Amino acid sequence: MVYITSWDDFVERSIHLFRTTPEKTRYVMKYRHCDGKLVLKITDDKECIKFKTDQAQDAKKMETLNNIFFTMMARGPEVDITEVTGKEKAEAQPAKKRRGRKQLHLYLSLASIPFLRELF
Amino acid sequence: MVRLQPDPFLNELTSMFERTTEKGSVWVTLKHSSDKSKVQRNKMATAGEEIEYRCLVRATDGKKNISTLVGAKDHQKFQASYATILKARMTALKKRERKDKRKAAEASTASDNKKHKGTKKRSSASKP
Repeated sequence: MVYITSWDDFVERSIHLFRTTPEKTRYVMKYRHCDGKLVLKITDDKECIKFKTDQAQDAKKMETLNNIFFTMMARGPEVDITEVTGKEKAEAQPAKKRRGRKQLHLYLSLASIPFLRELF
Repeated sequence: MVRLQPDPFLNELTSMFERTTEKGSVWVTLKHSSDKSKVQRNKMATAGEEIEYRCLVRATDGKKNISTLVGAKDHQKFQASYATILKARMTALKKRERKDKRKAAEASTASDNKKHKGTKKRSSASKP
């Protein structure tokens, strides 16, 4: 069994494998709570790549991979997966900007009130 | 193999995780499938009919098998619920201990520095 050590390498190869043979490729996840181990396997019955871990941080990374595979398998292998990874980043950025604007609005509105100007 | 609807499948998957806390494993398999045999697919292809593909999700605890098909429309909702279940259930994995790693790294670099200093002293003493 081919165990891959680098997560990014594993993700890239698994996506490539799925796009090459979408009919046969399957993504298997095995979780053992008693041992605290997680193993991921992607195979098309000719090639096989695996990733094993006992780290909680890898479970988070696996969630992104799950999203990618769900999107590709439900919609089709030709789907643009940058939507999946890009969406999350895009959602994070405007949320941060909004908070800044609200604070700025509050500051300006308070400053406009005459007796409060003394405070500033 | 028990074929369920997505929501009962998720409930059954949760109970599988609960049952295997002390002993056993949970396997979850994802596959791109049309749920039709090869013969049917070939017939549909030659007839010019479009084959609808879905995501087949299978789960087992070694004894019981369950499965469900997730289509393109409801995959987002399923994927969100699935992620919630995994986050809640996969608690046995180790948390990243940065402090221990840093201390180990510092200790190893400090011991390397001492070795280098020792060799330098010897070389300077041997020259004159």
